[in-house]
Order: sequence, then C-alpha cells, then structure tokens
Amino acid sequence: MTKKITYAVGALALLFGLWGVYIRLFEGEQSANYGSYIGWGLWVAMYLFLAGLAAGAYMLAAFEYLFNVPQFKGTGKTMLWAALVTLPAGLASIGMDLGHMDRIWKVYLQPNFTSFLALMVWGYTFFLILILISLYLALTQPDKKPMKIVMWIGFVTSILVAGGVGFLLGGNATRLFWHVGLLPVQFPVFAIASGAALMLVIVGRFMPALEEKQRGDLLWLLAIITIATSVAKLYFLFADLTQSLYGGATDNVIAVQSVLTGPYAFMFWGVQIVLGLVLPVLVLAQPKLAKNGFVAGLMGLFLLIGYAAARILIVVPGQVAEMMPGQAEAFSGPKLSLAYTPSLMEWSVTSAVMGFAILGILIGLDYLLGYLARFTEAKK
Amino acid sequence: MSNEATLIEKYASEVFAGLVAPALDGVQISAASADDPLAKEDVLVRMNHELQRALEKPASERRWVMVIDLRRCIGCHACTVACIAENKLPPGVVYRPVMTEEIGTYPNVTMKFLPRPCMQCEKSPCTEVCPVTATYHNEEGIVVVDYEQCIGCRACMAACPYGARTFDFGYNYTEQLPVFDGAIVGGENAAGYEHASQEYGEAWKREGKHESPVGNVRKCHFCLHRIKDGILPACTTTCIGRATYFGDANDPDSLVTELINKPNVIRLKEELGTEPRVYYVV
Repeated sequence: MTKKITYAVGALALLFGLWGVYIRLFEGEQSANYGSYIGWGLWVAMYLFLAGLAAGAYMLAAFEYLFNVPQFKGTGKTMLWAALVTLPAGLASIGMDLGHMDRIWKVYLQPNFTSFLALMVWGYTFFLILILISLYLALTQPDKKPMKIVMWIGFVTSILVAGGVGFLLGGNATRLFWHVGLLPVQFPVFAIASGAALMLVIVGRFMPALEEKQRGDLLWLLAIITIATSVAKLYFLFADLTQSLYGGATDNVIAVQSVLTGPYAFMFWGVQIVLGLVLPVLVLAQPKLAKNGFVAGLMGLFLLIGYAAARILIVVPGQVAEMMPGQAEAFSGPKLSLAYTPSLMEWSVTSAVMGFAILGILIGLDYLLGYLARFTEAKK
Repeated sequence: MSNEATLIEKYASEVFAGLVAPALDGVQISAASADDPLAKEDVLVRMNHELQRALEKPASERRWVMVIDLRRCIGCHACTVACIAENKLPPGVVYRPVMTEEIGTYPNVTMKFLPRPCMQCEKSPCTEVCPVTATYHNEEGIVVVDYEQCIGCRACMAACPYGARTFDFGYNYTEQLPVFDGAIVGGENAAGYEHASQEYGEAWKREGKHESPVGNVRKCHFCLHRIKDGILPACTTTCIGRATYFGDANDPDSLVTELINKPNVIRLKEELGTEPRVYYVV
C-alpha cells in the first residue's frame, strides 16, 4: 500500500514539476524568486541536499562492501542505486539554476581550476562515474578485489565531495554566515545522516526481501547512527549560531536572526528542529518503535524533510544581509530584494526533481536491480 | 565669484548654471583652496587630457582608477541614470547605485551618499570563483565579463563583497508599452533602442529570453567601450557635483594620482584584502 502511494506521489510530483520545467526552459528565470541580492535559492539548496544524499548513500553502501557490517548485508546495491539516482537529481537541480545551462560543457572543456565550483563539477562527475562502476561491480563481482579498490576510492571521494560542498560555501569570506571553518567537516556528517534517513525509508518500507530479524537489527543500527549524527548536528548548529551571535558581526547577526526569529523561524524551529530532528530522535530512541518498518520509514521521511530544510537554511540566510549599507533601497527594480520565498515555479521544478528521484529509486528497487542481477547472472 | 560658480557657468548647461550660479555668487567654498588640484582647471577637461595621454601608452601600463569625493556627492543619482542610459541596462540591472544613509536624529540630521561602482578589485574574489573564466581582468586590469562564456551560475555575485553584480533576468523597460497603429509605436519599436548596448565594444541585441547578456551576471566595467575611444566613463562626465574622477594611476601627474596620495582617502572593506581600484575622498 505504502509503495503504491509513494509511486503515486512520485508520479504526481513529476507531473506537477513538468509545468515548472517547461516554464524554466522556455520562459527563462523571471518567474523564479531568487534575484540579484539573493542569487542562490531553493534549487541550489536542493542540489546540496541531493548531492549530500548521494554521498551518504554511497558511504552506507561501503558498510556492506568495505566494512562487512553484517546488518547491512544485501543492502549495498540498493544504496548504490539510490546514490546513482539522487546525484543526477541534484545536478539537475543546480543545472536549472544556471542562466545558460547550454554552456555547461565549458566547465569541462574550459575550466578555471581556481574556482571551487569548477572543481566540484569535476569532482561530482568523477563521483558519478565511480558510482556507476561500483554498481556494475556490485552486480558482477561484489567480493573481488576490484570492487574493494573502487569502493575505497569512492568512499574517500564521497567524503571529499560532501566536504567540498561545505568548502564551496565556507570558502566565501564575503558571507560571514557561511564562512565557518568547520563547514567542510560538517557536511560529510550531514551526508551520512541524510543517507541513513534515506535508508530508514527504503529498509523500513521498500525492501521486502530482507529477513525480519535483519531488518529490525538494521533499522535499530540506522536509528543509532541517526541519533549520533543528530546530536553532532545539533552541537554544530548550536556552536555556529551562538558563536555568530556572541561575535556580533552585523551581517552574521542579521543572518542568524532571520533563522531564529525572522522570516525563516518557522522553517527552522518547526521543520528543521521539531519535525526533522527532535521528533525522529525521540521516536527512534525507542528500540521497539525504531524496529517497526512503518514508524522507521516515516521518521526517515521526516528526517529527510528536516535535512532539506536545513540546506535551505544554510544557503538563503547567508545572503539576507546587505553587502553595503543602504543597498536594498539604493535602486529599485525586479529581483532586487533581500527577501526570498521560493516561487511556485521553483517549487514545481523541485517537485520534478524529487518526483524523478522517488520514481527512480522505486523503479530501481522493484525492477531494474533485479533485472540487472538476472542479466549479469545469465551472462556469467 | 567663487571658483565653483565660475566652473559651473563655464562648463555646465546654461539652464543649470543659470539656476545655480547666482546662489553661489560670493560664497566661499573651502574645498577650493589654492593648492587644491581641482582648482587648476575644470576637472573634466583635465581628466580628458590625461585620458588621451594614457591611451598613448601600452594597455598593460595603464592603471585605471576611479576616485569619488564623498564631500561633493549630493545624491542626485545622475551617475546611476547615466550609466543605465549608456549601457542600456534593463530593469533589475544596476552598475552604479548610490547608497543613501540618513545619519543622526531630528533636528541634527544629515544624509550620506555613497556611489558604488564595481571596485575593480586587483585581488578580486569574483574572478577566482568563476568556473569558466568568464569574468577576468583584462590587460588594463579591469574586471570584465565575457557574456558568451558566462554560464550564469551567480557564484561571482555570491563572492562579491560589494554587491556590485546583478543578474540579467531578461526584463525590458519597454515590453509593457501599449501599441496603437499609427499613434503609439509600442514596445517592439522602442526595444531596438533599449537593446542597443555597446558594452565591451560589441553590439548586444539581447533578444528573447535566452540571448546573452540575458542569463548572465553583469557589472560596471568603467565604460571600457568609451575609454577605448578616448571618452571618460558616463558616470564621470555626468556628475554634476564633479565628485567622480577617473584616470590612470600610473601617470604621476594625473588628477587621480594626486587625489589618492592624500591622507583623506579610503577604500571600502580594505580588511578583505581585495585591493579595490575605487577610492573615496572623505
């Protein structure tokens, strides 16, 4: 039943999203709400979220193929597939954000390697290739040496690309809210946390092949990972916000206040903290509830929503302060605003991306992975 | 008559001079002392001579800088408007806004104006982050944007500490104009004028929703296309308070060199190490 509903949600999301994709491709970016002062909005945030999810899914696949954690046995292919779907989804989200997406090839053929953005495009492309090779090897020779080598390279790459996204923001000395030394350290933690949340959903609701005992043990292990990473995340958050407020730098205080008490307060307290962190941690701390597939899957979903909100709350508040006093009023015109709420078109495009990811993961689980396994078996 | 009044009478429009000169008659303006470089000749004439002199040198030996005297800026926004007209900037794109701050409480209130072109930083954070080298220093050191190279990622916008970059979303001032046969020509005809930008010495048609510079980040370039032809930037020639100066800082006799070597000159956000080429006299 849950699966049917999820298929329907994915299909509807994709359908609604096609409208936004059409508008974006043919009408341009005027109906987006990001602008010249807040230049990075929902799509950039969703890129961070989905790329982190891919890195996290890969890290968890390594739990089977590299670290031989018994509870993870039989889940590696699924997580590699999840990474293979979520990474292109993330790249699609950032692709839609480009004013000239037709020129993306220039990043490959005419790159500027002093640009961390260029390095990230190359890094994620390399990571995508590694995921593909890992999945192929997982289907054909999971216990052999090439698989171990590729998985090790992939595991290290997943940490680096996740950390790299943190650097992409953290390296920007102009935006004090982002310019936090530990951001590249935090992002791999966020990645594995979001990977665990995705796995809670998949293992909890969409992997009937797992034995009940293993499912329960795995869910409990994922619950522990979730609790541990949530505590770490909460501490990072507490440290960042209090340090910013105590330091008192105007731009930073404006950004933090927009999160704690300003226009993004509901998203922070309601979605990121209560729905996306406190509630799941409280529920998952109960072994009985954590081992229940439905409950664990639901909490995984809440966690994912919370992590997505957290990405928005890193990207957008970093841009809400004026770069120069009086900037907001100095000149008026469209897209010259320091307020940002995603437009319907932006939500629609994100809906398409999410619909693609949901359907991609489900179709992979239900058909493609089984088909590929049979195909490679027959070839042998 | 004071120096200022004489200058205005001599060079400003007749209407403007007629309005303002009588008011300045007999007024002693302290800024125009005998050793003031601005007192020697009209700054526009002088800067124009210096510009011609600089253009005789190889491009790599020039160091264009802009100096803005905040004591002279009256917040008229003429520079903003001139820039828009010169570069045919569409709605939402601005190269040189004037920041206005109200200081003090009534009745002790004053206004502070800060024109903000691109700082043309020598160590520019924006060029470093561009993934395809679409924005870079040209041989004269000016930070330019190659509209045909820019992918529109807006990383440079996020990196600029001065908020000096805006994104072209494809708006037009004239697109909503009504059309009435034989009476009102409407947006389609007006668009030809609106789109006739000569930035970087090229004719940008800017047609449709996707043609560059639509979808690109845009910024002040010190009117390079004018400089090339020996004309000062639009903001400089339009400044009615003679508050904006432009020239070659590698020329020891230039006005800008004289001005930036005085102690009452600052640059914005020096602590970031960006080494701006725009100086403010305070």
